[in-house]
Amino acid sequence: MEKDILEHRLNINRRRFLSRLSLGLGSIALGSLLIPDLFTGSGADSEADFIPGIPNFAPKAKRVIYLFQDGAPSQLESFDYKPKLREMMGQDLPPSVRGNQILTGMTANQAHFPLVGSFYDFKQYGESKAWVSDLFPHIGKIADDICIIRSMYTEAINHDPALTFFQTGAQQGNRPSMGSWVSYGLGSENQNLPAFTVLLSKGKGNGQGVYSKLWSNGFLDSIHQGVQFSSGENPVLYLNDQPGIDRRERRKMLDKLAELNDISYKEFGDPEISAKVQQYEMAYRMQAAVPEIMDVSKESDDIIKMYGPDCLVPGTYAANCLLARKLSENGVRFVQLYHQGWDQHNNLPQEMAGQAMDVDQASAALVTDLKQRGLLDETLVIWGGEFGRTNYSQGKLEKANYGRDHHPRCFSIWMAGGGIKPGIVYGESDEFGYNIVKDPVHVHDFHATILNQLGLDHKKLTFKSQGRRYRLTDVAGNVVKGILS
Amino acid sequence: MIKSKHKGFAENLLFALNIFIIFLLVFGSAIVIPQWLQPVGRLHPLILHFPIVVLIMAMMLEFFRFKDRFKTEKLYHDFTTYLWLTGAIFAAFTAIMGLFLSKEPGYEGGTLQWHKWLGVSVVFVSTIIYWCRSAGWYNVKTARWGAGVVVLSLVFAGHFGADLTHGDNFVLAPVWHPEKDLVPLDKALVYKDVIQPIFQSKCISCHNPDKTKGGLMLIDEKSILKGGKDGKLIVPGQPQISMLLQRIHLVEEDKKHMPPAGKPQLTPDEMDLLYLWVKENADFKKKVIALPAKDSLRMIASTYLKPAEETEEKYDFAAADDKLIKKLNNNYRVIYPYAKESPALGVNIYNKSTYRPKTLEELSAIKQQVVSLDVSKMPVKDAELKTIAQFENLHTLNLNFTDVTGSTLKDLASLKSLKMISLAGTPLNASAIKQISALKSLAKITLWDTGLTDAQLNELQAQNKKIEFIKSFKDDGKPIKLNVPQLKNTALVFAESMPLELSHPIKGVQIRYTTDGTDPDSIKSPVFKPGVAINKNTNIKVKAYKAGWLSSDVVQFSVFKSTYTPDSISFIKQPNPKYSADGAKSLIDKDLGGTNFGNSKWIGAQNNIEIYMQFNKPADVHNVTINCLRNLGSQIFLPIGIEVWGGTDINHLKLLSNVTPPAAKKDEPVITVGIDCKLNIAKPINCLKIIAKNIQTLPAWDPVKKGPEWVFMDEIFLN
Repeated sequence: MEKDILEHRLNINRRRFLSRLSLGLGSIALGSLLIPDLFTGSGADSEADFIPGIPNFAPKAKRVIYLFQDGAPSQLESFDYKPKLREMMGQDLPPSVRGNQILTGMTANQAHFPLVGSFYDFKQYGESKAWVSDLFPHIGKIADDICIIRSMYTEAINHDPALTFFQTGAQQGNRPSMGSWVSYGLGSENQNLPAFTVLLSKGKGNGQGVYSKLWSNGFLDSIHQGVQFSSGENPVLYLNDQPGIDRRERRKMLDKLAELNDISYKEFGDPEISAKVQQYEMAYRMQAAVPEIMDVSKESDDIIKMYGPDCLVPGTYAANCLLARKLSENGVRFVQLYHQGWDQHNNLPQEMAGQAMDVDQASAALVTDLKQRGLLDETLVIWGGEFGRTNYSQGKLEKANYGRDHHPRCFSIWMAGGGIKPGIVYGESDEFGYNIVKDPVHVHDFHATILNQLGLDHKKLTFKSQGRRYRLTDVAGNVVKGILS
Repeated sequence: MIKSKHKGFAENLLFALNIFIIFLLVFGSAIVIPQWLQPVGRLHPLILHFPIVVLIMAMMLEFFRFKDRFKTEKLYHDFTTYLWLTGAIFAAFTAIMGLFLSKEPGYEGGTLQWHKWLGVSVVFVSTIIYWCRSAGWYNVKTARWGAGVVVLSLVFAGHFGADLTHGDNFVLAPVWHPEKDLVPLDKALVYKDVIQPIFQSKCISCHNPDKTKGGLMLIDEKSILKGGKDGKLIVPGQPQISMLLQRIHLVEEDKKHMPPAGKPQLTPDEMDLLYLWVKENADFKKKVIALPAKDSLRMIASTYLKPAEETEEKYDFAAADDKLIKKLNNNYRVIYPYAKESPALGVNIYNKSTYRPKTLEELSAIKQQVVSLDVSKMPVKDAELKTIAQFENLHTLNLNFTDVTGSTLKDLASLKSLKMISLAGTPLNASAIKQISALKSLAKITLWDTGLTDAQLNELQAQNKKIEFIKSFKDDGKPIKLNVPQLKNTALVFAESMPLELSHPIKGVQIRYTTDGTDPDSIKSPVFKPGVAINKNTNIKVKAYKAGWLSSDVVQFSVFKSTYTPDSISFIKQPNPKYSADGAKSLIDKDLGGTNFGNSKWIGAQNNIEIYMQFNKPADVHNVTINCLRNLGSQIFLPIGIEVWGGTDINHLKLLSNVTPPAAKKDEPVITVGIDCKLNIAKPINCLKIIAKNIQTLPAWDPVKKGPEWVFMDEIFLN
């Protein structure tokens, strides 16, 4: 009898086991159909794929300095040499070249699109024989240290969406800025400074505004927001103690505050509370670290000559470049500069000369300075605007006075350091400088490449918000392998 | 067993089919398949599934036929027989269709032969066994062997057939990649290691000796140069007219697009490689490194041959304990993992004031794992290099601006992986460098701002060719222009006098200035010293000088004296609401508006600006200065005339001044001008009326040619 009972149980068990097994296998099979990457472990859904603060693979660059030329400098007077445009000066842009390109409201009604060549001459520099215009002699001298990309293109034709696209990977705004993504992906190197800082300057040229949405953390934790360093008495707003409060008082106050927060943490267990305490502590440490960074009085005469004397005038582009070097040297992951005034719809030759004067020497100096400190290998420097400018004149064309409208189809930027191949020119535009004929680089590709250099797989750097995972590169982007060393 | 009519017919059919197959095999080469029969042949891949299933079932039954349990089961035997017969007939039909199909162009080569003979052998063997299996000598052994042979032939015929349709290794390809030996860049050939792999992965399944679609094979130099039935595949040097490039660049919907829609497509990189290869004369022997370094083909190819990941360092030491790392990490000593799943760690040290030798010593627990150390600007002494030397796997070391003098650099000579060391800003000498320059792994040393002279650096470089010595930035020796001095005074309007505060960011600069409107001069103009006071409306021109630098541009600052402030001020005519600042009182708030007329400090109007000012006590005003803006691009002109009226009250005003500023000229720059009106008056007044007249007729050169123009003022000074 006992044997029967045992057998009965075994049967039940076996039956159950089998039926459950089949059900289980069935659901695994179904699951693998619905989620193709379920078993390969490479899907974006497996949490272990990305741990904030740890690169996916060994990084080439640890830090980024992005010299954003706000307003879109003309590629045709800087890095894309098009002698054909001079030959064809004043002739109309052939419709076949323009194709289906939409124009802005500013030139759409023009009866003619007179081609205009660069007012400035070009020279070849370095062993790479890169063509650089006479407006940028200092950048020309570092031609062998930089990689010029002449085949960038974007999707937006107006400043705000194009700028937002470059900074956040989306035109609409409200997404995290590139610096915020990097801060989220890699964390801070120096616990005493924010991982993402922003520096603004303004040239005399026709300008377009910059606004804090460009360095917003979007849906990421607010700790990843860009912190603006300004040129005034308080470089970081609200950081300094009120008059009459010294360091000791502040310490005591923070300790008491931490005790209170601790009580509240024990009661509610909200991680935001301990995050808050950490931010107070970081601000306290920043109070000591920031003045040291902002102090340029110890920089040697050689450094001042290299960046140009304006580097001692707070708020100038040169001063911001020097500051960017100091911040980067101190472990700030992402230093974002904006230099305004590059929107030359008219009076281009004169205005662009002024703008170039502002940035040429200091941009080149930054690269050289990083190099001589042995930091260029691990710091990626990027120089460029949000789109290019048309090869035809906006408004009336005069020999020494013309303007250029927005052009998203083809423009030039350059990068240096951080594992980018130095001394090369990548991509090519047609002889009109209007369309790309070789190796196009989309903004998403640009983002993917930068993240790649930082050791981050752009497909894995995701954040879940409002029910779906977001990436800086949305659903696109390919690493531009041709520019990697 | 009852022989039914149907069975007899089926057996006869099977026999006839076998004969037909033999006929096809014998006279195969002489037979041309009529076009209307081709669809029958093309049904081969459909029909073939039936014999496979039916025959396998029959073979299974045959296998167990002699088991005691089934020996006497009539149904079992009948069923097996019918199944067998059906299977054999299907197999025969399939084989015939297959033979038809093989006559179509594009099928030839070894795989086809294997498929063909295995396929017909399935038919023959199954037919023969069918007739023998009732014989007396047919026993367990023969039954099992026979069944085994048929199943095996079936499996292999099927396998080779699948290879023909889907290409090699179709089933396992998604999960199994045969380990390819990555060819090092220096040994790689353009054709063999770059181009052929593309053909291999995307083209060859249809263009091989077995399946020669379009008469084209892509297996070697000879077959590629030969081309296909539509002609030559490539014209060396001329990708534009090479059929290979034309076909791959057609839109995917095009029937002639290669690879055909639905098959794995070429990537843009692969298309570029093919283009460049043909463009560079389709060489079959050239080495990749024989191409120039900047050659596009070489650049793309090098990413193929040596994927970026391959250059990563591989570390074979064990990872450190997470808890230990966490414990050693603090705000000024940051330990970070190099990458996910890598045991390597990097360490950055910050904050001079908290740095102690033990900051480094405490890291001995993770001495194996630290591969990168940054102690720049920390007061690291010579003796501490011994501590650093314990990090045996260190490859990057940053000692910039530390207190290291170089005398103990030899302590680092034990670091066999050290690739890069930064020593900028340390007082080194050449012999110090020699202590480590023998390190085999060392590739880069940063020596900017050290004690080394250029000659020493050049000598070092000559002695150690494999190391890159990074020297300091050298300017071209030409003097650099100074930037302009700055005026530090916050208020530019004063009541009696103001101390002039000029400064320059660069140390040791001499600032010279003038107050008479002339440009400063390096000899005659006074040098600025603190304590200079200004006591009237003045245009100060300033210039900076320093030995070894070019002097700066001249910069001009305007300061204004305003002795009297009226007790009330009001507009007679309201200005434009957009440019009305903070009302009329903005004109006497001593806050200048610069040149930006949109900053709510300027009063602007498209007609005349008329103002009343009243004093409670009579004021001894002799001079009225009105600060106006000219910005022709924005249609802002200076007033064409200014009238100042004064008296004891509104009803008793006399014209005291009537000034006509010079007329505007084309292309004049943006400027602010203080227009002086001297009052023709002897005694103090209580009331002033000011009229600034807007331009009436547009100049012919006006760029906009559409009035009315604007007049703008931001401040009025009374003296």
